[in-house]
Amino acid sequence: MKQAVILAAGEGQRLRPFTVTRPKAMLSIAGKPILQHVVEAVAQNGIRQIVIIVGYKKEEIFDYLGAGDQFGVNITYVTQERQLGTAHALAQARDMVHDEFLVLPGDNLIDTGTIAQFVTVHPDAVLTKKVEKPSRYGVVAADGNSLLAIIEKPKETESNLVNTGIYAFGTDIFDLMDTRLDIPDVLNGMLEQKRPVTVMETDGTWLDVVYPWDIIKLNDAVLRHVPAKLGGTIETGAYVKGQVSIGQNTVIRANSYVLGPAVIGEHCDIGPGVCILPSTSIGNNVVISPFSVIENSMIGEDVHIGPASVIQDSVIDKGCVIKGHFTACSGEAELRINDEFHMVNIGAMLGTGCRLGSSVVAQPGAIAGNYSQIQALKLIGGRLPDRSYVV
Amino acid sequence: MCGIVGYIGERRAQPVLLGCLRKLEYRGYDSCGIAVTADGLQVYKDAVRVEALAKSAPQFGGTVGIGHTRWATHGGPSKINAHPHLDCAGRIAVVHNGVITNFRELRRKLAAEGHIFLSETDTEVIPHLIEKYDTGDLEAAVVAALREIEGSYAIVVMKAGEARLVVARKDSPLVIGIGDRENFIASDVPAFLEHTGRVIYLEDGQTGSITRSGIRINSGGREIAPKEDKVLWSANEAQKGGYDHFMLKEIHEQPRVIRNTLAEFTQAEETASGSDLTREIGVSPILMLACGTSYHAALVGKYVLEDLVNIPATVEFASEFNHRKNIFGKPLGIAITQSGETADTLKAMKRVRSQGGRVIAVTNVVGSTASRIANQTIYTRAGPEISVAATKTFIAQLMILYWLAMSNSKADSRRIASLLLELRQLPNRVQQVLDNEGIIAGHAKFLSRYEHAFFIGRGINYPVALEGALKLKEVSYIHAEGYPAGETKHGPFALLGRETPVIAAVSRDDTYEAMMTSMKEIKARSSPVIALSEDGDGAVEELADFVIPVPHVDCIFSPVVNCVALQLLAYYAARERGCPIDFPRNLAKSVTVE
Repeated sequence: MKQAVILAAGEGQRLRPFTVTRPKAMLSIAGKPILQHVVEAVAQNGIRQIVIIVGYKKEEIFDYLGAGDQFGVNITYVTQERQLGTAHALAQARDMVHDEFLVLPGDNLIDTGTIAQFVTVHPDAVLTKKVEKPSRYGVVAADGNSLLAIIEKPKETESNLVNTGIYAFGTDIFDLMDTRLDIPDVLNGMLEQKRPVTVMETDGTWLDVVYPWDIIKLNDAVLRHVPAKLGGTIETGAYVKGQVSIGQNTVIRANSYVLGPAVIGEHCDIGPGVCILPSTSIGNNVVISPFSVIENSMIGEDVHIGPASVIQDSVIDKGCVIKGHFTACSGEAELRINDEFHMVNIGAMLGTGCRLGSSVVAQPGAIAGNYSQIQALKLIGGRLPDRSYVV
Repeated sequence: MCGIVGYIGERRAQPVLLGCLRKLEYRGYDSCGIAVTADGLQVYKDAVRVEALAKSAPQFGGTVGIGHTRWATHGGPSKINAHPHLDCAGRIAVVHNGVITNFRELRRKLAAEGHIFLSETDTEVIPHLIEKYDTGDLEAAVVAALREIEGSYAIVVMKAGEARLVVARKDSPLVIGIGDRENFIASDVPAFLEHTGRVIYLEDGQTGSITRSGIRINSGGREIAPKEDKVLWSANEAQKGGYDHFMLKEIHEQPRVIRNTLAEFTQAEETASGSDLTREIGVSPILMLACGTSYHAALVGKYVLEDLVNIPATVEFASEFNHRKNIFGKPLGIAITQSGETADTLKAMKRVRSQGGRVIAVTNVVGSTASRIANQTIYTRAGPEISVAATKTFIAQLMILYWLAMSNSKADSRRIASLLLELRQLPNRVQQVLDNEGIIAGHAKFLSRYEHAFFIGRGINYPVALEGALKLKEVSYIHAEGYPAGETKHGPFALLGRETPVIAAVSRDDTYEAMMTSMKEIKARSSPVIALSEDGDGAVEELADFVIPVPHVDCIFSPVVNCVALQLLAYYAARERGCPIDFPRNLAKSVTVE
């Protein structure tokens, strides 16, 4: 297998507000976008020719990956104007691929091992994995190594083997698509025509972000595998313990305490006297002022956190400016996404570019839309739409 | 961002190599060179464009050769520092992309052993090391030499009288192109894509030995079977990283450019390495010299320096300053030039120096002529800019000027602290402007139907109006003029009407009321108005026909967000009119004649 097609055109509507400014594949987990995890996994398996299908907010992907030289790959982009389905997305790459190629979703997090076996398989093939809640996905019915059917989101199922959305195809797939818009439908169609499809199972990483709080869960799971690295300065009296990766030019000031697993980006200014507890990811160019505590949270790029803030199980998206004494403590909250209700343990979730005055308290499960402005001493809860003003 | 190429086959190597080098020009470079095997080894190199090198080079006959485009890092751009580099005997030639971190130590050692170095580059240690280990097997000598080298590299090595090229890579890109009884090597596929689409990507730690008809790859001392890939896309697409034009790509790089520059400031502050000369600001009068877009950066700089450092600053077109008879006093010159080669700016710098004044150069090109004339050089970290219309280098110049002003500021510490906080947020604010691309493209479509436009601003946004007009005219060919809003009544009003849209940069500072008045006067002459204003400003929304929303920033930084918005406006207007955006007619990226 010499080529890969990565599907990254999707929006991820359930992940708002975080997907208002970026496609789902560009959500950052453990210090880098999901799509980068995928590109690196592909590259480390010796596949250097990558076609990325882009659509929603494609510029975010262009800006980050460019032509791929930084990641040792050659990337070419194809735009899918309307996001009609995975097979439709793949069809856009028809003139870009030849012989055999791999197809991967750009918004499911994998690592090198996930596809190490699969890159040697002959088309047509689908990669599967055992999961706890199969009813969210396409459940795979198989007889040994051969696929029998893919049943999308079944109400009840015996099997917990699901479709990872990773496939190996030859160029003849394009002639078999017909008017079908999704790849599982195309596969079911192939089976009807008695064309065999191989099933291969992986026990490697395969993680999906469906809801905003999954960002915190995935971050925790992935951080455990990030190797320790020291690029910045740790002042005397600061303490760094466990698996911690610190980017270039970052300063961890005196009396700070950093407990891994944690990733801290480049050019950050942390402390003095800040506690970073497991499992926290901090983006580039972030300031965390004295006496703040951050635990099991995701802090995006260019964020400023004022003194004596407490942030647990939270997601703070890029560019937020938070004055002192901000509190986002974790607790049980019932959150509504579309028509479903979920009970989760969570702190707060702030969209891009929010500005918070001093001593704002966020109730567990509070979600502030992008560019919200909240005055000092306010208590926020529930879901605030984008550009809310709380006065 | 150096580029390397290699050729071995049955054709004459020289024209093939020069053709490949031209395809790598997009990576940005300041010098270039080639080496071919003909009567031993012939090298021709200089600090010139590939085109000029091709014209002046003698015709060599050999069919094996290597070539290089250099973007100076260690040692300025010059004939001596250009690649290829040779060993003492002139029999081994090397081109290199990457940075050798332990070259000083290696150089000292090799020099002590009698090797003679000609250049200031890190690269030159490689041919000498290879010479040291060469016992006849070139590849073995390369492997032995690389054991001593720390850092990143992609190299191609050739030796007089040998029909063979040896390659190696670590952390820098290198790809081999497979032809019919000929083979190619390059940093990037586009270099040889017109000859072949069959490629082998060399992996980190691998070395290769390439002849006319064979490619052998070694990994960790063992030969491995090369993995062949096929390239199916066109060269041009790859370089633009998904975008249709370099200009748009470079506009989108601006948040990163700001972040990189910021990193340098904080680093400098942390280590207190701000040099003596920048401390001189506020001692002598400041004279800023620049041309074109850089001149507009200087005008913003004047406001910032006068506001924060509380001293008068004069801004002059370098081309005009050179016609002036007298220079008064001994000014501290700040010369701003993207390329560092703008002839007028260089001449003006020399004039200031000859009067006993000191000069700080602000440039994007390491080791450029400006940096050699200046007493001190501050580099903008924007990376190579391909589009003729300057975008990211302009923003990077502004960042340097902010830094100069803030690190010498007389303002109270609370204001500085709040400005520092705002400065750190700036990448994100610029991203917010980019996120409004759709809205701006819509307004640009409207603007593209007109043949004349006015840009107005007041105070620190007056240079923004000038820059907005310059961008629009250079890429879209719409006649545009930038004016201080208060001056429009003294002439330009005669031209206002339905067919002359006005673009107004409104800032929430003490010019706000006056700008509102100007806009009302213009509306009364029925000109369509496009206003740049802070997101959610109802009064402006009511007055203007179109609004480009920009995020709230301290008014001192409003030129940054406003100019990014106007860059997008110019880009989309040009696109709508089908202009050759990256390379407008009659214009050159770097103006090296007076």
